[in-house]
Amino acid sequence: MKTGIFICHCGHNIKHTVDVKELSEYFKEIPNVYVATDYAFVCSEPGQEIIKESIEKFELDRVIIASCTPSLHGELFKDLLKKSGLNPFLLRRVSIREHCSWTGDDLKKNTEKAKKLILAGLFSVVHNLPFEEKVVEVDKSALVIGGGISGLSAACFLSKMGIRVYLIEKEKELGGHVKRLNNVWPYEKTGKEIVESLVSELVKADNVQIYTGARLELLEGYFGNYNVKITADGEREMNFKVGGVIVATGFEPFDPYLKPELGYGRDRRIVTTLEIEEKLNEVVLPEKPRVAILHCVGSRDETLGKSYCSRICCINALKVARMIKEGYENAYIECFYMDVRAHPKGGEEFYEETQVKGVFFTRGNVAEVVPLSRCVLIRGEDTLLGEVFEKEFDLVVLSIGMSSQSENKRLSQLLKVSLDKDGFFMEAHIKLRPFDTAVKGIFIAGCCSGPKDVEESINHGKASALKLFGMLNKGYAYVEPFVADVTEKRCSGCRMCESVCVANAIKYDARKRVVKVEEAQCMGCGLCNATCPSSAVTLLGYSDMILMDEISGLLARL
Amino acid sequence: MEFTNTTKVFTCIQCGKCTGGCPESGRTPLNVRLIVRKNQFGAQVKNSHLWYCTSCGTCTVRCPRDVKPSEVIFDMRSTLVESGDISTSIQKALENTFLQKNPWGRARSKRAEWAEKSGVAIKHISDTLEKRLLLSCCVHAYDPRCHVIPVNISKLLTYSGIEFGILGEEECCCGNEIRRIGEKGLFEELREENISNFNRYDVREILTLSPHCMNTLKKEYNLPKLKVYHYTQLLWDMIREGVVKIGKDYKKRVAYHDPCFLGKQNGIFEEPRYILKSIEGLELLEFSRSRENSLCCEGGGGRMFYEVEVQYERNAKIRVEEAYELGVQTIVVSCPFCLMTLEEQAVEKGIEVKDISEILVEVLE
Ligand SMILES: Cc1cc2nc3c(=O)[nH]c(=O)nc-3n(C[C@H](O)[C@H](O)[C@H](O)COP(=O)(O)OP(=O)(O)OC[C@H]3O[C@@H](n4cnc5c(N)ncnc54)[C@H](O)[C@@H]3O)c2cc1C
Ligand code: SF4
Ligand code: SF4
Ligand code: SF4
Ligand code: SF4
Repeated sequence: MKTGIFICHCGHNIKHTVDVKELSEYFKEIPNVYVATDYAFVCSEPGQEIIKESIEKFELDRVIIASCTPSLHGELFKDLLKKSGLNPFLLRRVSIREHCSWTGDDLKKNTEKAKKLILAGLFSVVHNLPFEEKVVEVDKSALVIGGGISGLSAACFLSKMGIRVYLIEKEKELGGHVKRLNNVWPYEKTGKEIVESLVSELVKADNVQIYTGARLELLEGYFGNYNVKITADGEREMNFKVGGVIVATGFEPFDPYLKPELGYGRDRRIVTTLEIEEKLNEVVLPEKPRVAILHCVGSRDETLGKSYCSRICCINALKVARMIKEGYENAYIECFYMDVRAHPKGGEEFYEETQVKGVFFTRGNVAEVVPLSRCVLIRGEDTLLGEVFEKEFDLVVLSIGMSSQSENKRLSQLLKVSLDKDGFFMEAHIKLRPFDTAVKGIFIAGCCSGPKDVEESINHGKASALKLFGMLNKGYAYVEPFVADVTEKRCSGCRMCESVCVANAIKYDARKRVVKVEEAQCMGCGLCNATCPSSAVTLLGYSDMILMDEISGLLARL
Repeated sequence: MEFTNTTKVFTCIQCGKCTGGCPESGRTPLNVRLIVRKNQFGAQVKNSHLWYCTSCGTCTVRCPRDVKPSEVIFDMRSTLVESGDISTSIQKALENTFLQKNPWGRARSKRAEWAEKSGVAIKHISDTLEKRLLLSCCVHAYDPRCHVIPVNISKLLTYSGIEFGILGEEECCCGNEIRRIGEKGLFEELREENISNFNRYDVREILTLSPHCMNTLKKEYNLPKLKVYHYTQLLWDMIREGVVKIGKDYKKRVAYHDPCFLGKQNGIFEEPRYILKSIEGLELLEFSRSRENSLCCEGGGGRMFYEVEVQYERNAKIRVEEAYELGVQTIVVSCPFCLMTLEEQAVEKGIEVKDISEILVEVLE
């Protein structure tokens, strides 16, 4: 057997705490290892080229890539093997990042652990067999969860491309938060206008089903063939099949009650930007109102466990300042900020214009808001002057940030997609695959993966839709051949496996008194394998032999 | 003096949230954000500035980057304590605590003097079954004005048949203030002595009378098995469950002052208010700065033992003036430090300051 071992630095990620050079030197010396080398980013184009060249040059028949977790770049490396003329199942991935370099920073210990992990791969890769991938038909339809601007954009795109769309929205109406905005920067349009143009397109399309008051109850299957169960309008239950899923559940506005020192809820003169946006005309202000706008409320704040910047609330604060200035020419408006992050295109100019229009900016994170009868008092520090101030206002506007949608937790379990530490959906890779999740065929769009403005949400939605379309449009997909396999001779017909199988894939043959696995249905979960008292079930690709050899590798003396 | 940094100072974003909320910054020369900034570079800080901090904890509770600015100040104070660069009054308080286990250096044998005033039989913890320890603070123990608090609580517990015990002359300063003055070594000694007492008598729960003691026992002692609580929590439970019955009314306009160590630092805002609201005739008013925004009385962080350099309008005075404007007749507190500082200012204005237990004893059935 001719094995090649490719060790990734993952930039600094692995190299930082694992001696990658020592690893490649060590494995070079092992018989049957024809090449052992390390490289900065194995997944990059030049990195892939190195692997391809080695396969061709040494006529390798087994490949080990020691890098990030196998759930990342799975398809990429499989394709690479195919391109290099090798069966993709002759590849073994070893995680020396998540399982090694990220778990501690002791270089010596980590390097040893990495050696053992790679040895485990090396010992067991001999059992890798050149399986053939199964081809399954793909249902050219998609489920879009969430009818905010990002979900609507994704649905419109898919519908136009001829994909059947099921759009579910938990509220009574489509539109999400954008619909509540009176003035969407920089479009100078109401949110309603923006939303309605998309909704009318969807309503007209003959390949779109919209369910409001809807809730996803179940999602089962795999890319190309998902079975979906939803309830709509409270009770109506519905089942259908889709090829892929786009999650677009958006965000929840930060709950200002969680910052009690800012006095929200104790006085009518303390409001959020969202409230001002919705009902500025209802707020009663004196002719020359004094208005304070507080940035970063509910963002960049570890006391709330929210260390991220919400990215829209600076622009939003500026926008609200301008809205008030338009209604009250003589208004005195002061924004209190830590940094003004006016990052979208045109944002910095908008900031400057706002200053020109007479809105004041003071650098300081306001410490407390105290409602008094004559005014609302705010106390803070002008950090540029180094002076504490107490100032009086008629209105205090809290520029609230975005929190993750609380529904995400439940959905993450249904979809088996992870959330990040802040409760947003996690991208497969923040830079390389920002639209994908780790689950094939499930994509994310808009603020459900983190704060975005309207333009970014629309683009994110369209990009996810495009990626899903690309996959669905092929009409077929490959499925891993790792299914359960029963050795009839060993099977005693006890049918214990049948009772545990989640996919209903085990069929009992009463005549032969043995069970059989329905390949197309089996999800490869391995429950039957672990349950069978006669060791009659093998999970292809994960045989006992493979596991035993892996263990020998882990226990090997270096 | 130059200081080295030991906390998360480098992550400070200089937002000013600490300074803006600090009851001393803006009123005295202390600017806590600037101290953190200077600490990042080991730059010079004027020693005297460090001693204005009352250890109210507002900065640390609110800091968006979890820098714990007050801990930065305590660390810097310890450098001063180590080098002996401190005022004689602080020096004295530390020596006293080392010798007599209280900052005033009063005899340890007099620690439980209050018990004689109580008129009820008070047991030593070793003679009790339930091992519920009533722990008084040095202020309760030695300040005659505050004796009434342990006295009242003992009466209320005894009348209700709730068993408790005390440590008597074995009781020792909890060290909350000592740690905040920066004497970490002495704090450790006090902590050890207290823990060995708790272990010796198999103490199961501690009823603290001062939020300062409660705070350090809860957060700095590492006693996961011991239940530590403040007396307002127990009193409210007793009222709610009808163990204590309120029979008389209290026809006064009352404002409750949230102590920093009970409210801001430990989130206990409701129980004292529930107690007051359950008293017939009592009109409960709120200060404009209440609950999370309560204005620190300036009794903590060593300020009890130290006269600051600069003269300025004391927070207690601001507090009392607001009470006066609101027409408050009684300011109610639940911390001995607040009682002392507020009363000093209130007398002039003809406003009374009472511990919550004093009111409760008056309205008892
Ligand atoms: C106060 C404020 C002002 C703003 N102003 C601007 C601005 O001027 N310009 C700008 O560019 N951006 C602005 N934004 C940002 C803008 O609101 C977002 O970019 C946009 O709403 C993101 O769209 P979305 O579809 O990702 O999420 P959302 O708008 O949150 O929509 C998500 C939708 O999914 C639904 N949903 C959630 N969970 C489920 C579930 N489990 N099942 C079914 N449906 C579900 C929700 O009900 C909602 O309808 C502002 C944001 C705020 C808070
Ligand atoms: S966008 Fe501005 S206001 Fe919002 S969290 Fe970021 S810095 Fe703060
Ligand atoms: S591996 Fe076994 S239990 Fe799992 S789905 Fe396949 S047959 Fe069923
Ligand atoms: S609150 Fe925290 S982050 Fe802000 S200036 Fe103070 S120490 Fe720095
Ligand atoms: S603990 Fe209180 S007094 Fe001390 S610096 Fe912090 S906010 Fe100011």
